[in-house]
Amino acid sequence: MTDVIMPQMGESIAEGTIVKWFKEVGQPVKKDEPLFEMSTDKVDAEIPSPGEGVLLEILVGPGTTVDVGKVVGRIGVAGTAPSGGQQSTVDSRQEKTAPARELVAAAAPARTNSHGVASVEELRRVRSSPLVRKIAAEHGVDLARVGPGTGISGRVTKTDIMAFLEKGPSVQEAPAQAPVTVPARFFHTPTPGQKFEPFSPMREKIAEHMVMSQAISAHVCTFFEVDMTRVARLRSKHRAAYESKGVKLTFTPFVMKAAIDALLEFPILNSSIVDKKVYYHPNVNLGLAVALDWGLIVPVVHKAEEKSLLGLTRSLADLAERARIKKLAPEEVAGGTFTITNPGIYGSLIGTPVINQPQVAILGMGAVTKRAVVTEEDAIAIRHMVYMALSFDHRIIDGATADKFMSRVKATLQEFPESAM
Amino acid sequence: MKPLELYRWMVLNRMVEERLVNFYRQSKVVGGLYRSLGQEAISIGTASVLEPQDVVAPLIRNAGVFLMRGYRPRDLFMQYMAKAGSPTGGRDCNTHFGDVQKGVIAPISMLGAMIPVCAGIAWAGREQKKNLVAMTYIGDGGTSTGDFHEGMNLAAVWKLPLVVVGEANQYAYSTPTHSQMAITDLSDRAKAYGMAHATVDGNDVLVVQEAARKAVEYARSGKGPFFLTCETMRMRGHAEHDDARYVPAELFEQWKLKDPLERLKASLKGQEAVLAGIDDEVRELVEAEARIADESPMPDPDFAFGRVFA
Amino acid sequence: MSSSTTEKPHLGGAEVATGRGVTLLEGVRQALWDELESDPSVYLIGQDIGHFGGAFKVTAGLQEQFGDHRVKDTPISESGMIGAAIGASMLGLKVVVEMQFIDFIACGYNQLVNFAALCRYRWGQGVPIVVRGPCGAGVSGSAFHSQCPEAHFMPTPGLKIAFPATAEDAYGLLRTAIQDPDPVLFLEHKFLYRRVRGDLGGPIPFGQAAVRQRGTDLTIITYGATVHTALEAAAALEGHSVEVVDLRTLVPLDEDTVLDSVRRNNKVIVLHETQRNLGPGAELSARIAEKAFEYLDGPVVRVAAPDSPTPYSPTLEKAWLPGVEQVLHAARELLAY
Repeated sequence: MTDVIMPQMGESIAEGTIVKWFKEVGQPVKKDEPLFEMSTDKVDAEIPSPGEGVLLEILVGPGTTVDVGKVVGRIGVAGTAPSGGQQSTVDSRQEKTAPARELVAAAAPARTNSHGVASVEELRRVRSSPLVRKIAAEHGVDLARVGPGTGISGRVTKTDIMAFLEKGPSVQEAPAQAPVTVPARFFHTPTPGQKFEPFSPMREKIAEHMVMSQAISAHVCTFFEVDMTRVARLRSKHRAAYESKGVKLTFTPFVMKAAIDALLEFPILNSSIVDKKVYYHPNVNLGLAVALDWGLIVPVVHKAEEKSLLGLTRSLADLAERARIKKLAPEEVAGGTFTITNPGIYGSLIGTPVINQPQVAILGMGAVTKRAVVTEEDAIAIRHMVYMALSFDHRIIDGATADKFMSRVKATLQEFPESAM
Repeated sequence: MKPLELYRWMVLNRMVEERLVNFYRQSKVVGGLYRSLGQEAISIGTASVLEPQDVVAPLIRNAGVFLMRGYRPRDLFMQYMAKAGSPTGGRDCNTHFGDVQKGVIAPISMLGAMIPVCAGIAWAGREQKKNLVAMTYIGDGGTSTGDFHEGMNLAAVWKLPLVVVGEANQYAYSTPTHSQMAITDLSDRAKAYGMAHATVDGNDVLVVQEAARKAVEYARSGKGPFFLTCETMRMRGHAEHDDARYVPAELFEQWKLKDPLERLKASLKGQEAVLAGIDDEVRELVEAEARIADESPMPDPDFAFGRVFA
Repeated sequence: MSSSTTEKPHLGGAEVATGRGVTLLEGVRQALWDELESDPSVYLIGQDIGHFGGAFKVTAGLQEQFGDHRVKDTPISESGMIGAAIGASMLGLKVVVEMQFIDFIACGYNQLVNFAALCRYRWGQGVPIVVRGPCGAGVSGSAFHSQCPEAHFMPTPGLKIAFPATAEDAYGLLRTAIQDPDPVLFLEHKFLYRRVRGDLGGPIPFGQAAVRQRGTDLTIITYGATVHTALEAAAALEGHSVEVVDLRTLVPLDEDTVLDSVRRNNKVIVLHETQRNLGPGAELSARIAEKAFEYLDGPVVRVAAPDSPTPYSPTLEKAWLPGVEQVLHAARELLAY
């Protein structure tokens, strides 16, 4: 006799719902023949029979959700009696007659027992105690992220939450605007003596900002490939002249210039959302992500649309340098309306940047590399190529607009006017 | 105290209670109203022999004692009407008020409780050499309690200057005396404690006064406590809400002939004009006092709180 | 008659000389002595308290010293005794009434609760009396010589309740009780009478709990004999820091000290010898829940006698009494909560 179990369809999946059985009890089943259809929040799948014979019994019916690994049916020789009672091997408390899907990350209140009431153990885990709940509320900590604790039934004790706070609670927290209760099993339980390092204030801010941005914007990313051969040529040609003016000419100012032109043409990308209203910014205040040994900072070139390529190059060099020596003024890292990030300098080909709130889009550029490219004339040529990614907020920017914007950027770069040098 | 004086107190006692009946029927008395109709001679006769240093603990049928110890009619009116200006400021009811300075101890509702307390007063007075007598009252029903026994016994053992006035008024609420005890003379109770005692006609104020004078003298002389039984009849129900239908009508008729006020009047033949003058003066006084009480305010709700401890 | 406390030979002076201090019983006696001596309005009444010196010899020697007017035997009349004390108090005496065993206060309930306690509220008359006596189990006293009656009286407005755990407190609190303007029920645990010793100080004000031991992990709130149970349990809880709060008086209750301790330690056991149902622990638990709810890191746990009478046999009585083992069990569970 062969047990049919609920399979694990992905490592984070803990349970699955039976959609339907393809066989009735008593029907013959061949090995690997589709036996039932199951559904999780990630996949729907037909599950092949693990054995051959007759479907002796169905233990979990359609519409019922059970934990991964549970026996849902049995296959064996016709006439064999099942080993136990009809439901004997299935813990009825594990069953949940549920809508076919249940978000794992949805707020996870205490599970209910067979009487529909949260068990004492579960309440202890989720509710802990008045003191711990108060401390959690004061620090904006979701208790589920602290636990399981060292108290009874895995309760988070005062000691647990105080230790958690000492390690830096805020960065581990979901933003207040979008509280998400995450089951404790997704969090690492530190082993005794395990080395840790508390978050720096900058790390806290970055973490908070990034999680917040993901939570409040509908991130979509589009990718473009741009031929930078002309820009590379112009760069080589004018490098010495720029160096004589005290600045090093890189690819980035060209991208900045192309982005500024495109932003002036598509102002929706140079805007912010407030209360279902789009506020267009009168200037392009261009943020430039600068990687630091201790984190990341985004200085801003204010009124970038008023600057020449030389001016942009100077601003970029100046801001990046002062960022590294911590000499930026507060206003120089504030007020950005659009951001460019360049992970390409570290060799990345392509990435999906996170929008720098309260902006609505961010442009990421990969490394400029020489690649063999098929030209318009169907010839193979060696060109300076780059991948560019635009992450945009789909709440107000649709894909077509974003792609038109990127096409404009691409066109500017590929046909960069020498007059702008 | 002279008969005419006694008459005035008796009339005042009765008129105050009659005025209270009026207030009761107007729902201005917010709790029960307990009358001493037919028993006034006991309150007036006994209280009339007390000295200023003496201490008395009246019960609900001793409105006359309060009046004789210096309380004004308005105090009784306001107390029953739960007014702010009443002796307890609205905190307690009917005759549950007192003032040690006036030599009056407020009773509690539990019968018999005043006897040990008054024994204690008599004891303290003796220790303090104040030459005082403590006096309290007990109905026939009240003598069935444990506190009556404990207080009487203690007073007798300690030979305290205590006078306990037994008001044998035939009924304890609806229970007649023969269902309350197997004796017919309340004074038989005192015998068991080795306590001096006497039984007198409680509806003759002159008799009561004379007996009380002897009892108080006895106690004050240091010979020990005295139990004075005054035989009488409660002429109303337990309270005004009780029509006393359980009392045979003939019993009321029979005792009505012995009304203490009428008997005193009868003994003062030839002074009708004086008595009528007293009646008028007292009626006027009671009306004036009633008006003051009626027009006075109810207590501020804040007075419900505090003064639980010193 | 000497004027200084330490020179009185009958008060265990030899023991003082050996540095062992005086017993709780001697503390009670000393307080009575000092009050009788310093205040001529103080009187003692009770059954067999005179020449005989009382069933526990608390008043031994007092009648000889102060005379049979000031220290007076009574008939077996608990209600009569308390009633007489009430009446005498109204003329200015301060009468201390001894219940031979505090269990018999049931016979004086009416005078204490309905009369003494309510007078001030009703008509403004204070009743400064003290009703004192031996209480508590542990001596095979069975159901009527073992009670701790405080829970019967805590709800009575106007009545104060003191319950000392040490000789020093017995002395200091009793002196305060006798001079207090309100009626006081003064409970002396008979098991402690000759088992605890201390040096006497001065009067101790009511409503000021004593933190007998500081701690950070758990607070045990208690009073009377179980203060010693709590201290023993605290010592046995190695690795844990336990605070022991001795309430000293149940009315008035030192809520500030209780709440302060709960707010610091977040876990609390209320321990008392009297029965669990509506015992002082119920009131303390409720107040803690009302006023320190957000500070609790575990349920408020009561350790108390079961809701049954005190049994007679030593083996039964030991099982019935809330002892060190019960406290340890509760503490370990709460610490692990």
